[in-house]
Formats: sequence, structure tokens, C-alpha cells
Amino acid sequence: MLELEGLRVGYGRIEVVHGVDLSVGEGEAVGMIGPNGAGKSSILRAIFGLVRPTAGRAVFGDRVLTGMAPEQVARLGLALVPEGRHIFKTLTVEENLRLAAPADGDGAESTEAALGRFPILRERARRRADRLSGGEQQQLAIARALLGRPKLLVLDEPSLGLAPKMIDTIYELLHGLREEGVTMLLVEQNAARTIDFCDRCAVLSTGKVRAQGSRSELQRNPDVLRAYLGRQP
Amino acid sequence: MTELGQHLIDALALGSLYALIALGITLVYTVMGMMNFAHGEFIMLAAYALYVLAGLPFGVAVAAALLTGSLVALLAERVAFRPVRNADLSAQLVTSLAVAAILQNIVTVAVNARAQSVETPAGLSETTSIGGLLVPNLEFVTLGLTAIVLGGLGWLLYRTRTGLTMRAAAENFDMARLLGVRADRVIAISFAISGALAAAVGVLIVMQTGQVSPTMGLTPVLVGFVAVVIGGFGRIFGAVIGGLLLGILSSLLGVYLPDGLVPFRDAIVFTVPVLILIFRPHGLLGGEVGRARV
Amino acid sequence: MSGALFRSRPSALVSLLVPLALIGLVVLVGATGTPSLEGTVIQILCNLIIVVGLQVFVGNSGVYSFGQLGFATAGAYVAALLTLPAAFILLQTPGLPHFIAGADSGPLVSTLIAAGVSALLAAAVGLPLMRTSTLAIPISTFAFLIVIYNVVANWDRITGGNAGLVSIPTTTGVGAAGLWAAVAVVLALAYKWLPSGYRLQATREDEVAAGSIGIGLMRERMIAFILSGALCGIGGALAVHQSGVLNPTTFYFGATVTTLTMLVVGGARSVLGAVIGAIAIAVVNEFLRGVENGADLLGVISIGEAPGLAAIGLGLILLATMIAMPNGLTGGREAGELSWLHRLGWPVRPPLVEPEVNDGARPAERPAPGALRAERISLAFAGLQVLRDVDLTLEPGEVLGLIGPNGAGKTTLVNVLSGFQRPDAGTVSLDGTAVTGSSPARLARRGLGRTFQAALPFPHLTGLENVAVGAMGMGAGRRRAVTIATGVLARLDLLRLATVPAGSMPPGSQRLLGVARALAIQPRYLLLDEPAAGLSEEEGEQLTEILRNVLADFGCGILLIEHDMSIVMKLCPRVQVLDDGRTLRVGAPDEVQADPAVIESYLGSNFLVAVDARA
Repeated sequence: MLELEGLRVGYGRIEVVHGVDLSVGEGEAVGMIGPNGAGKSSILRAIFGLVRPTAGRAVFGDRVLTGMAPEQVARLGLALVPEGRHIFKTLTVEENLRLAAPADGDGAESTEAALGRFPILRERARRRADRLSGGEQQQLAIARALLGRPKLLVLDEPSLGLAPKMIDTIYELLHGLREEGVTMLLVEQNAARTIDFCDRCAVLSTGKVRAQGSRSELQRNPDVLRAYLGRQP
Repeated sequence: MTELGQHLIDALALGSLYALIALGITLVYTVMGMMNFAHGEFIMLAAYALYVLAGLPFGVAVAAALLTGSLVALLAERVAFRPVRNADLSAQLVTSLAVAAILQNIVTVAVNARAQSVETPAGLSETTSIGGLLVPNLEFVTLGLTAIVLGGLGWLLYRTRTGLTMRAAAENFDMARLLGVRADRVIAISFAISGALAAAVGVLIVMQTGQVSPTMGLTPVLVGFVAVVIGGFGRIFGAVIGGLLLGILSSLLGVYLPDGLVPFRDAIVFTVPVLILIFRPHGLLGGEVGRARV
Repeated sequence: MSGALFRSRPSALVSLLVPLALIGLVVLVGATGTPSLEGTVIQILCNLIIVVGLQVFVGNSGVYSFGQLGFATAGAYVAALLTLPAAFILLQTPGLPHFIAGADSGPLVSTLIAAGVSALLAAAVGLPLMRTSTLAIPISTFAFLIVIYNVVANWDRITGGNAGLVSIPTTTGVGAAGLWAAVAVVLALAYKWLPSGYRLQATREDEVAAGSIGIGLMRERMIAFILSGALCGIGGALAVHQSGVLNPTTFYFGATVTTLTMLVVGGARSVLGAVIGAIAIAVVNEFLRGVENGADLLGVISIGEAPGLAAIGLGLILLATMIAMPNGLTGGREAGELSWLHRLGWPVRPPLVEPEVNDGARPAERPAPGALRAERISLAFAGLQVLRDVDLTLEPGEVLGLIGPNGAGKTTLVNVLSGFQRPDAGTVSLDGTAVTGSSPARLARRGLGRTFQAALPFPHLTGLENVAVGAMGMGAGRRRAVTIATGVLARLDLLRLATVPAGSMPPGSQRLLGVARALAIQPRYLLLDEPAAGLSEEEGEQLTEILRNVLADFGCGILLIEHDMSIVMKLCPRVQVLDDGRTLRVGAPDEVQADPAVIESYLGSNFLVAVDARA
């Protein structure tokens, strides 16, 4: 479904992603893990048109994403839950959702469905979004992303800054989505859950993919530990 | 007592006018992060539309003026501001200055550098008596118009989908785009409304002063800037408050200032905001400079 | 005498002589032409002085002021009133005090007094204005322009009001104008190359990094603002002594746009840009004015009289420049820095003389006792508790590693220690003095340096300048700053980059440059925020070697945030682990690395099983 081919991303003269290949198949949950500064967020920004790659491309189905404006990418069926969530704090929960819902008649119905799936949001529907806790904001961000009925759901560090229990809740949610067949690309610095959760993970470090595979494969791979904690003594 | 009431209404009317200017400027600021120097020229061009169409029925001329304001704003956005959309704030400010200079001088070339007089409908220069107060009709119109505009803007922003996308884009432009909001459309709508607001101000100023001149937009745009700054950048409500305060201050100074200082009224009015800025560098209501990005 | 200026001698000389030569050329044209041409040339030179004045503030600070022509107005009126002969003056300005009316000063004295008055006015206006935010300055200076206009237009009895003043003695000759223009250029370049000018440029390049090396934003802006005001006042005074007339609109909106266009088209960051822009646009303006008066374009199109056409043309030029060429014709470079000179074989940047690495770069042998201490720091941000009750102690001479997963709060802690963020609770003390909430600049001056995850170089300054500005932030003069800087660069093996603009350097070098810059303030405590992030393995190793060799030499206490454990292992005898805003563990690196709790926080309990299975 999503193919990254030789993607290179740079800011000014600084290249942070040095040629990355990755693919996400339909119905798969693929993870991208790696330490801070590895280039994971830059790859996502390139996919979603927030930054133009210096080389390589991202292809979605039969459409080339690189070069499109963010709103065009979104309309193709990719949804991003960005790092830090970026919900609209001055809007209410309901307005946050309504914004994301398709503008046609279906709008009200899917908002209802979303509120059904996330009961805590229904409780807070009329509240301004900045009154929500971190975990609730994360749920709102995911609900909002789902409203567009995306073909590919991309999450950037969904567990960042959340208490362990809340992380559990979020991942339960993601499990549920997985069951429903939602295709996902999950980016995390915290490798544990991601490796557990995803069908496949790519380990990124300093702008390159260092290792790729399923959970068992990765757990046998010394490069993973090295990417995070340096060489073992 | 009636005299005070009179002065207060005058002050409120002037404040409303300033609030309208500030609103127009803020709308563009919230989606573009840019303070638009050329806003004063939108005001001026709409006023000149009235001058040019003086022969036509008043209602038609006003409608034409409103249209002029919006169209010029849209044109400026498309031609001049879109290419510098991602440049830094200073660059955008200077670009808007260039646009202002161009527009101002187009009028100078096309018409004249001197002020021209414009006939105003008789009704507007009369006064109406309310409870012992003599209120110029124009002030009624100003107050009424401002109330309608505020109401309309409020309805647009809070009760329509378009308004929702505008508010979202104002808070976090990139995130809005990631949700499928069309950036170009939101910006264009903001400019169109901003232009219409400027046009309304232009019409009101012409009704008040009975004349137009190419430089008539300079003081209003400065007033608008200052009102936005003291109200707090990017806060629509703040812009209104800023405008009201500035107008009330200016008007009351005009009345109560000792004779010798009257010519310096404007100087004093503009020094006050600077003092406010020293103690509250982000304006009275606070606000963030620039746009939020993902 | 290694480098009185930061460029090579020939380069500095070229930067000085080229604009002066251009001025000389213009003077020549004026002196040998018709009287009308001479008059035009004098006006061009006066405008040039104003544009140079504009450059001093706008170019160095990166902040636009729309009010500088208010100072030209002030200077013009002062000069006019001082020189108007008694016979004419009281008719036009009945309210003028006698000591001014009867002054009858000569041109030089009146110009000097005009400069003084403008400078004082700039000081008075700048004091409140420079406190405001970077976006509020353009607006408030615009307000100043209009206020001056209003005051001058309304103060009839002193200024002649809207009608203005006439019969002002026309004493400015082309030679005098040229001389003053040369003086302006020399002053502008001198200021730019003085520590104060460099400090201001640093704030333009990166306000945050400038704060971290002790630079006071408001102070530096004030200095430039006052100098700029004085120059604009001089320009106004000279101009009015050429035209003989003056009114409130002489230096108002139109002139503001014109001078701004000149500066932007030439290139705001350089004095050469101001000079070239002033001359080029003036020529274009003259041509357009000619068209205004009715002209036959190539004998094909006939345009009738159209005042305002020139202004439209200039506006279009400004617009086009902002869109297509925002750095102007010179790209912001001085004459001695232009690359085409280099291609001609001109020695633009000869290699630096090998510096004497003297004790300018080494602090005392044994650092005085003391500590950087954070106690019970807590901070919540946007509803999230980022730091909870965190303690940290760093002593001079020791290296402490700070590690933890993403989002653990490491950078926030460093921000709190360095004054960029205020904690909700807890205290920070530096060598016994409580400093919680002090500004980064103040902390820098107390001996706290830091680097940033994003390197934050000063892109338009060379490597040497980047580091020397660090020393200047602490008040060092030019020579001492260069000495310190070359010493630091030599120790970090960065001398080959001394003459390269930081913006052109690869990221690894920019990172190192950031470290060098922080070292130049001769800190007692140095906070390094992920210096190796994004570097390749080889670059990381290189960094480690450099850090290892150098840091011991400099004797400061170092807090090193790093994800790369191999670096941490090699450099830090002590490591503190943060997780979820709390301190998880403090100890030796191998202990920490093998600690199950630490491994779990990074990779989860599953990994422990796998690791055990493999072991």
C-alpha cells in the first residue's frame, strides 16, 4: 500500500534521512523504532508533504505522494496522529471531530460513531479540548484521524508523555483497530510495545534502516540493542 | 450629564470604527501570521470606488465598494502574498508595505494626489434625538454596522463549517491541512472578508469626512496595527477590545484635551499603546506571535 | 596581531574601499556635470547616508524599523532652524525661541547638532521600543513615524506647520555630501566589525543561541538604533541644505518606502548593499521620474504626465525583490566577501596564520570549588508533568551523563538549568547563588554554557566569528576574542573551518562549532544537549575523541545528554538516568547499562527475556 523508495530528507544542507526503503502492506501494522534523532519524524513529514524530500519518493497505491500538499495527501486516505497530538485547543472536542469528518452528509453519523467508540470523549464532547488529560487528548487525536476513514493510519509517538496505564489503554484501542483490519504505520522511540504490537518493525538509527523484521527476528538481532544502548561491553 | 453621554456615544462610535479596522487586520494575521500594511489601501480603494461611482444610487455604490475591497484583497493575496507565505514575518511585512505603496500610487496616477470631495447622502449628516441626546445618524450607522459585523462574524466562525476550518487553521495551520482543510481556500476567504471589512471602514470614513485622498489609509492602518498589538496578537476578541479602547481614548482626548495640546492628540494616542507594550509585551490579552506549526 | 578584524587584511580593505570608491565615482559625476545633475547627485548622496543609517539597525539586527525617517525629519528640522537666517526665520516660525532663531549656525555645526538631537531622540524612543517583541518593533516604529509627522505638521509656531520652511541656505556641496557619505560608510563598517556589532548580528542569526552566550538583546539593539538615528539625522540635515525647502512630508511614507527599497534591493545585511542599492535605485528612480514627466518609450508608446508612476515602479521593484531575491544584489555580503572576487583569484580568504595557542583558551589549573545544583525541580507543561522532583549536582571538572528514553525530560531539565524555562517548583543554584528563573544571558555571564540539539549556528558568520562572538558575549574585545576563539578552534580541530560561513558546514561540524562557541565563554559548567544526535558512526567517534581530549583540558563541569551509550560509556564516570520525569538511577555507566530497570525503560521487559536467553 505504502512504499518508501530511497527516501532522503534534509533541512537546508543537513541531511537527516539517508536513503530509506520501507513498505506497508494492506492490513499490516508496521513499526518504525529507533532513538531520538534517527529521522523517524522527518520521514513522516516527507510522506505527508510537510517537507519535500531531497531524493527518493513515497508512493501510495498508484499515486506518488512526494510533491503533494498535505491536504491532498490527507484526501487520498492517509491520516496522521502527530507527535504531541496537536489537537485544536481552542475548539471543543466535538468541533475537533467535526472538522475531521467528511464534509458530506455522512458527517454527523461518523461523529456519532466516533463518540461511541471513545466513550470518554462523548462525556467531554462539549468541553474545550485543552481541558482534556494527556491520554484523553491522545484518544481524541486518534478518533479524529479515524473519522476520515483512512486507508492508512500513521501514529507518531502515541505513547509519548503518557502514564503506563494510559499507554495500555491506547494500545488496547490500537489492537481493536488492528482486528478491524486498519492498516497502520507506528513510529515509536519506546521499542517495547511497538515490537510486541506490530507485524514487522524497522529499526532506524542515524537516518538509515539498520534492521527489519518480526518480533522474534528482532529479538535475536544484536543491532537493535546497539541502536539504543550502544555496544554491549 | 447629557454632554458626557454625548461624548461617550461619540467615543463608542469611533471605537467601533477602529474595532472594525482591527478585525480586518486580525483575520489575516491569524491565518497568515502577517500584519498587512496594505489593509489601509484596501480601505482607500473602496472609498475611491464610492467617489468614482458617485452618480449611482447610494446602495449600489456601497455594494460596489464592498466588492472592490474584497477583490483587491484577493488579488493582493494571489499575486503578492502567496509567494512569500513561508518567508519570515519581517519579509512578509515589507512585502505588504510594497503592495501598499503600489496601490497608493496607482490611485495617485489614475486620479490625483489631492483630496477629492464626495457627496454624502443627506440623511447621514443629520442627527436624531434620543432621550435628550443628539446623535449623528452616521454614528448610528457605525454602531449598528459594527454590531452586525460582529454578529455575522461570530455566526460565521462558530456556526458554520467554513468558520470552523478558519478557526482551526488560525490555531494550527499545518494540522488543519493534515486533516484535509484546503489551505488556499481558507486564506482566500480570510482575505476576502478582511477586504470587505476594510471596504466598510472606507465607506464610513468617506461618510464622515466627505473626502478621499490617496494617503487616507495610512492612519487607519496604523490604528488597526496598534489596536491588534495592544489587544493581543491574533485574538479576535482582543482586536475588538483594542480598537474600542483606542477609539474611546482618542475621542475623549479630543474633547478634554487642553487647547494647546489638541494638535498633538494623535501623538498622545499612539504613545499610550507603547506604554502598554512595555508592561505587557504580548498585549493586554496576551497572544502568540506567528503561527503554530506541526 | 592575529586578525584585528575577522577577515583577512586584503578582504577587509576591499570591503572598505569598494563602497568608498563608488561614492567617489558618484561625486565625480556630480562635480563634472550640469548644476542640475550636481543637485541630483547631492540628493542621492544624502539618501545614501540615510540608507546606510537604516542598514546599521535593520541589517545587523534583522528587525525592520519603519520609523528611521522620523529621525531624518528631526535632523532636517533642527538643521534648518539653526541655519535659517534671522531675516527669514521668525516669519515662518513665530514661536521659535530666540536662541535658536538667532543661531545662524554654519552647515557643519548645524549638521553635528542635528546628529546629536537625532541620537538623543533615538535613545528616548528606543528605550521603550526595544523592549517590545520583535514583531512589535516595526509597528511601534511606524507609529513613531506618524507621530513625528503629526507633531511637526501641527506645531506651526515652531516648525512652520504643513507649509514647512523655505529659504533654507543651500550650503551642501557635492564634496561635503560625498565626505559625509564616506564617514557614514566607515562608521557603519566599523560598528559592524566591533564586538557590539557582532553581538547584535548574533541576535539576528539566532536569538536563542545569542542569549546562551550572554548577549543582551535590548542593549545591543539600542546601540544600533541610536547610531542609526544619528546617521539618518545627518542625512536629513544635509538634504535639507541642498533643496532649501522642508515640510512634514519630505521624509515620510514615500521616502520610507524608497529608502527601504534601496536597502532591500542592495542587500540589507551589508553596507555595500546599502551603497549599491542607494545608487542603483536612485538611478532607476530618476529614469522613472523622467517617464513620469511624459516620455516617448522607444518612440513607440507615449505616456502623459503621471506623477506617482515612479513610486509604482519602485513598489514593484521592492515586491519583486522580496519574492525572488530577498537577500538583495549583494546577498548580504561585503565587497571583500563576494565569491566572484575569489574566482578572479583575489585572495578573499587566505588561510589563517597558525595561532599561538596561549592561555587565552585555558582557565586556571584547578577550578575553584562550587557546584551547579538543581533541587526538587518539577515542571508541568500543557497538562503533562514533565519533571517530577528531580535533583542533579554537577561539579567543576566532572563529567556527568544524562540519559533516558525520549520524553523523559532531559532537554527540559537542561532548559531549566540554563534559564530557558522556569520550573514550577524547586531551585537551581550556581556556585551557591540561587539562580532559578534568571535569564540565559545572565547565567552565561555567571559561567554557564550550553549547546542545543539543533546546533543553532550563526549561519552567515564564519566559524571563527561564531566562536569569537561567544567570547564577546562575555565582554571580550575584538583582539582577545579572536585569541580565545582561535585557541578553542585549534583544540577542537576546527581551524580549517575558521573562514567558512557556518551555514555551509556539514551538521557534524556545526555541532562541534556549537561546542566551541559555548567554550568561548569560558564556562565553569557546560551543558551539552545530544551533541552526537544525527551523526554517522565515524563522526560520533570523532566527536568522542575531541570531547575526551578537550574537555579535560578546559576544566569545566560537563553535563552530557546523550542517547549514544558508547559515547556516554567512554566519557562519563557518572551517569544519571531519567525516565518519565523522574531520576531512575545514578551510577557508573556499566552499572546503569546493565540495570534491568533502565533496560526496561528503554526496551521493555520482553527484551530482558531475550537478552537473558542470548547471554
